[in-house]
Amino acid sequence: MPNHRRKLANQCNALKSTGPRSMAGKRASSQNSRKHGLNSVPDFESSPAYQTLVELIAGEGFSAFVCADIASGLLNYRRVMDAYYDAYTSPEPVDEFLRDVNVKASIPIFSELLIPSGSEPQDVREMATFFADMQRQERRKSGPVSRRSADTHKLIRYQRNGIARLSRAIRQS
Amino acid sequence: MSVDHKVSSLLAFLSSPKLLPNESEAEFQSGLQSLLSELDNPSSLAVALVSQLNESLWWIKRHTVDKELLLHEAMARILSKGGIYTETYDNSKVSEALENYLDGSADKDEAEWIDEILAESKLTLSDLRVRAFKDAAKHIKMVDDLIHRQHQTMRHLQRSIDSIDYKSRLIKRMDLELAALESKQSVKEVSSLDAKPS
Repeated sequence: MPNHRRKLANQCNALKSTGPRSMAGKRASSQNSRKHGLNSVPDFESSPAYQTLVELIAGEGFSAFVCADIASGLLNYRRVMDAYYDAYTSPEPVDEFLRDVNVKASIPIFSELLIPSGSEPQDVREMATFFADMQRQERRKSGPVSRRSADTHKLIRYQRNGIARLSRAIRQS
Repeated sequence: MSVDHKVSSLLAFLSSPKLLPNESEAEFQSGLQSLLSELDNPSSLAVALVSQLNESLWWIKRHTVDKELLLHEAMARILSKGGIYTETYDNSKVSEALENYLDGSADKDEAEWIDEILAESKLTLSDLRVRAFKDAAKHIKMVDDLIHRQHQTMRHLQRSIDSIDYKSRLIKRMDLELAALESKQSVKEVSSLDAKPS
């Protein structure tokens, strides 16, 4: 089967999937939407970096309460900036096949793949529309620099909150 | 504790600078040192904040380069669609050739090829730049937002550093005043002892 047909067949079959069945598969797919993990609640207090930071800051005359606030504020800000770096250096990859495939020309292939399994011509048209939508979305994402700009842009609010928390902790002292 | 020692002990906990493969660590460190040199015996916390400030400056540099790269990307995209043939050109090849063309490092074949595509698309280089700017406007705005965010972050960090600096100066001043009061007190005690008749 030519490469183009095989890829289309794989994508058609993937659409029929009802999701993972095994526990391991379910566990793995539960992490699919996890992009940066910045919405999870971190546990800084049990990390060794936290203890050392608290000791370093305490040496400068801050109260124990303020030291704890500043240390977790700093670690939280670092967590955001590390996620920012990761988003910048590994943007969502380009699906070149989907971006470049000629959807109109692929309609006969969709028919060949779907009709033997009892699908109606209407289903073939819906499949082609679905692919065209996915292609439009893929093309809108553009090249790697645009993608990394868009990906890092999503983290702006985390950065704003992170630095505000740190700054508040320091200035409350 | 020396400033260098403070930097090294803190960076171990605050994650050392993550640089891209084409970036110079020496340049990053020299930026950090020049910022630190503006502070008079900075505390560990001030060093931590200054290193975050230096990172923000570094991000601004990166994003500024990105703005130009976005334009190049859009220019290559327009050119790759600009052929007179039904087939479009390979985007990555056009992008590479255009990059060299704009740098002035393109070989004869590449330069001719880009000139040819420009002619086919009936565009001059400045027309192409204008069209690319329109196409990439949305992403350029995003990068501007990212740069603005870094400026805001720097403002927060600067205020925090000022507040630590003010606090330490206040403590120093109070220490000096206390010392002065103590010495005054001891002088008074000595003079009152001297004044007592034996």
